Amino acid sequence: MDLVRDVLDKKLIDRENCPMGRVDGLVMHVGERSQPTITHIEIGGTTPWMRLHPAIARLAARLARMWGPKRGEPVKIPWSRVMTVGKDIKLDVRAKDTGALDWEIWIARHIIERIPGGGHEEEE
Amino acid sequence: MKKVMEITLGIVTAVGGFLEMGSVATAAQAGAAFGYDLLWAILLGTLCLIFLVEMSGRFSAVSKHTIVDGMRERFGFPFFAIVLIGITVVLFIVLVAELAGIGLSVQILTGIGFPWWAIPVSLAVWFLMWKGTFSLIENGVSVLGLVTICFIVAAVKLHPDWGSAAHGLLPTFPGDQKAKYGFIAVSILGASVSPHLMYFYCSGAIEDKWDESYIPINRVIAGLGMTFGGVLSMGVLIAAALAFRPNGIDVQTFEQTALLMTTALPKWGFFLFAASMLFACLGAALETSLAIAYFFAQGFGWNWSENLAPSKNARFAFTYTVIILLAAVPLLLGIDPFQVTMMSMALTSATLPLAIVPFLFLMNDPIYLGKYRNGWLSNSVVAIVILISFVLAVISIPLEIIGG
Repeated sequence: MDLVRDVLDKKLIDRENCPMGRVDGLVMHVGERSQPTITHIEIGGTTPWMRLHPAIARLAARLARMWGPKRGEPVKIPWSRVMTVGKDIKLDVRAKDTGALDWEIWIARHIIERIPGGGHEEEE
Repeated sequence: MKKVMEITLGIVTAVGGFLEMGSVATAAQAGAAFGYDLLWAILLGTLCLIFLVEMSGRFSAVSKHTIVDGMRERFGFPFFAIVLIGITVVLFIVLVAELAGIGLSVQILTGIGFPWWAIPVSLAVWFLMWKGTFSLIENGVSVLGLVTICFIVAAVKLHPDWGSAAHGLLPTFPGDQKAKYGFIAVSILGASVSPHLMYFYCSGAIEDKWDESYIPINRVIAGLGMTFGGVLSMGVLIAAALAFRPNGIDVQTFEQTALLMTTALPKWGFFLFAASMLFACLGAALETSLAIAYFFAQGFGWNWSENLAPSKNARFAFTYTVIILLAAVPLLLGIDPFQVTMMSMALTSATLPLAIVPFLFLMNDPIYLGKYRNGWLSNSVVAIVILISFVLAVISIPLEIIGG
């Protein structure tokens, strides 16, 4: 598997096929004598912006602290949760429990549901 | 039978979706200033668009991904972010032009000034997005958009000299007013090769759950639909050439443009023109706002579908809500709609390489398309037209800004 070609930036879906963002970063553990291993997938937060420029990442972090669900930290998913790597990457998690949908839920509750006809985020 | 229906609907969509504020404004200016001489630009733009639309549909049908998905996955976040900013800015200006087109159509129908319409028009567009489904937008607006066929009727009724019109299909070198000639040619190319149509079309293929069995249908829709659309644009240019050129009218306003219909059809022309522009710009405004929202949602991996309730894809719905409301601001400030339109079309041309070159890479990628990837013909046609429009844009936009 080629990490940059086959994993990075791929779409992530949870157990129930709910989209939960893209692979914005990969965290690797480099042991003293062991081979490096990929430990986590990072979603959102400052991770994608850091790939552009540190200053943009700092700005993104500051804005994230002021507004919305007030979290600037990326969501970390352990690699052990990866079920399949194909067209998309399927994770053995429930998207809502990971924090990856915090923004989605915050915008739904604070803005969209307050506009008539917006529906409710929790209805099935 | 179902497939025949789909082909018909697809062609209707293409015809109804082709003509908008940009193509009418650019074709009318071209006809008024240079007669049939710029027909080649419409021909070239339409040819390129046929290939691009066919490719977008094929990409979605085979890979089940949209162009934006592919762009983010293949080129990574930093490149995607740059394209996102560039395309969003250009599409936003196009959206402003389309909203202005709706406002102006309502103005000439009601007599109430156009800045007053900025808020109602944006709210109406937003409401259709908020409550409507994808097929309502796709089919409803395009069926109404068929009224634009009256531009062909107008052109034929003015008895054009078909021989000299045919000459216009080949590029000629302008005698004088070279900068203006180049600028209008660039704007026509930008109005024909509109990237929002690609994003809209390939997302639509995903919304309608296309698979590989749709490849032949897709080819027919792209070919016939875009050809009809191109003929409509040519109708506008020919009617403008006959209505304005002999009287030496230089088209600078929307009301003047209406003359090309009233000259041909004195009784109904005015209403037909207003209705055509209203539906055509409404369709384009919906497609452009959807294209921007699709771009964000697909690039960041959010949930997206125009068929879901807004709260089920909150970030997607939030994006188009903000974009549409922001687009009302320049209208309230009283911008010149005609100038915005011409500039947005020229800018579209200038940024085409940004949108199209990465797309060509994707279209040749066996991982996404397998045996369905592009052949040399599609690659060369698109690459050549993009190169021509980019070079023309780089030369003529500065000249137009200095000169005008």
